[in-house]
Amino acid sequence: MTQLTAKDVRSFLLEYFSSMIAMNGLDPAAINEDFDFLRAGMIDSLGVLEMISVVEQHFKIAVDFERMDPSELTLLGKFSHFVARNANSREPLP
Amino acid sequence: MPRIENRPAVGSKKNSIFTAQEKYGEMGLSRGFLRSVKAFGGCPAVEVSGEILAYGELFERSASLASTMAEHQTGGGPPLTAVFAYRSATAFAGILAALMRGHGYVPLNRTFPIERTRAMLRRSGCRAMVVDAESEKQLDQLLEGIDERMLFVLPERQETLDLTARWPGHRFIGVEELVSHERWRPVDVSLDSIAYLLFTSGSTGVPKGVMVGHRSVRHYIDFVTERFSMTCEDRFSQMFDMTFDLSVSDLFVAWERGACVCCPSEKTLINPGRFINEKNITVWFSVPSTAVFMKRLGALKANAYPGLRVSLFCGEALPVEMVTAWSAAAPNSVIENLYGPTELTIACTCYRWDPLRSPSEAADGVVPIGEPFPDMGPLVVDDALDAVAPGQAGELLMSGPQLALGYWNDPILTAAAFVKPPGCDETYYRTGDRVRRPAGKGPLLFLGRVDSQVKILGHRVELGEVEAVVREESGIDGVVALAWPRSISGAGGVEVFLQAEGPAQPGMKQQVAARLPFYMVPRRYHFLRKLPVNANGKYDRQALINRLEALP
Repeated sequence: MTQLTAKDVRSFLLEYFSSMIAMNGLDPAAINEDFDFLRAGMIDSLGVLEMISVVEQHFKIAVDFERMDPSELTLLGKFSHFVARNANSREPLP
Repeated sequence: MPRIENRPAVGSKKNSIFTAQEKYGEMGLSRGFLRSVKAFGGCPAVEVSGEILAYGELFERSASLASTMAEHQTGGGPPLTAVFAYRSATAFAGILAALMRGHGYVPLNRTFPIERTRAMLRRSGCRAMVVDAESEKQLDQLLEGIDERMLFVLPERQETLDLTARWPGHRFIGVEELVSHERWRPVDVSLDSIAYLLFTSGSTGVPKGVMVGHRSVRHYIDFVTERFSMTCEDRFSQMFDMTFDLSVSDLFVAWERGACVCCPSEKTLINPGRFINEKNITVWFSVPSTAVFMKRLGALKANAYPGLRVSLFCGEALPVEMVTAWSAAAPNSVIENLYGPTELTIACTCYRWDPLRSPSEAADGVVPIGEPFPDMGPLVVDDALDAVAPGQAGELLMSGPQLALGYWNDPILTAAAFVKPPGCDETYYRTGDRVRRPAGKGPLLFLGRVDSQVKILGHRVELGEVEAVVREESGIDGVVALAWPRSISGAGGVEVFLQAEGPAQPGMKQQVAARLPFYMVPRRYHFLRKLPVNANGKYDRQALINRLEALP
């Protein structure tokens, strides 16, 4: 696969959460790197698991999150960069 | 750990509230708390948002709220009090206040959309509500469309002139007008009355209110307190929101024995491992997803939590892989899988993990749900509600003292779920869960659902409710909601397929999102000219799941 970039992850997440973003009256184009999905009420703390699993499913990757600071996981920019940097491609799920 | 000043227990010697009439012994769910106030008045009852409340202090706050409501509430209405508060001292005091005035409590959650909260409030018919400062920000919006005169008690605000000016039809009380805790007197509470009313997802598109009685919840608490030998030294985690019935276990099992409930903030919830060690937690209770989350973040390293002595999991299927990691991280803890829908009061079966025996008793990598609590009667049945042969799979029915009182103001739904199977005199609750008890004497195994209820990260969701809301807002009949992506415990979110030409009409997604809690909001909408159907003419869910897996 071609190299996964933080931008790919970012646009996927914005698309995936688009109905919540619209409900909150936000313009996806104006959302910056510091955007916090938890603070915005789009997920609860366990929603991080949802973010992890949809990104892994969508890009067919496995990511090792062990070195990630939990409090940064819900930030759009931090999450996207971490995934792009630590993505290992894997076979599509059966 | 911060110390608490030693203060005399409320109710000792000169205070005659308790000695005059030992009626609190009959006060149902709040009985254990009231006893602990007497025995452990100076010990911490709750740690929440940086504040430590001793039993005596929490009692005084609760008794003051209870007396205020009893003296100021006018008009009728059911014996129910709403608590609109979230992870705050007021949330705990509000729940106790409702019970101490002889009412059942109805928890409302500011993280839910206002429209849903308003629907729950209206359906419950509550005429009194305790509100904390954060939730109060939603109060003006919530009040739009509430016609009945209500009493609002706001213990985190001095006075209420502005609210009264804006809403002359309602009564608001701030700190200035609170009635003294000394005016509180125990009330007779029938064990058959409602202790709490919780709304769960309903497949027809409307949340249903489960009425749980004092007798049922006392049965749960007495059994669990005894089983795990809880003591006043214990420190309980409080991971569950009050709108989730597992929170009842955290609070009232702890208070039964004078233990402390440690309530993490929204921000702390993201780092459960640090919370366990910083707060010296000894009794842990969460959905399995929380542990899966911790495992993914590398927070289940060997001996990470030596202080835990009891770890309980409930709310979704428990993966063997996760328990193995947890038992290494918490080597001094017993681990139990609890099972039970809200209608059977928190949990009604349990299974103790044994590293040697359990792996061979598990099925498909999922830990068994084990054996029923005392006096609970399980029955595994086929579609006609006849018992299946030993070893066969079927729907789990359950009878016994933990059966809920039914669904609030919904006799039809109640009659459909609380049934007398052919040849039985007793009422059973139909769980909708598929189970199997291996021939011989093996533990009950959870296999899945007989309907389209799913667990989204531990939250109970009827996909039918999502479909009904999408149908109403889109005007499109062909709607299928799916839980996706899937995991061994449940799923991460919800996706929707519509039989229509896309894209969605403007505003539709927002309207749907405004009616459902965040975990039920469809993440993506997929438009198909024709939804696949199976041989029975029903929408083929599996084909749609396969489609999702094949994306992008």
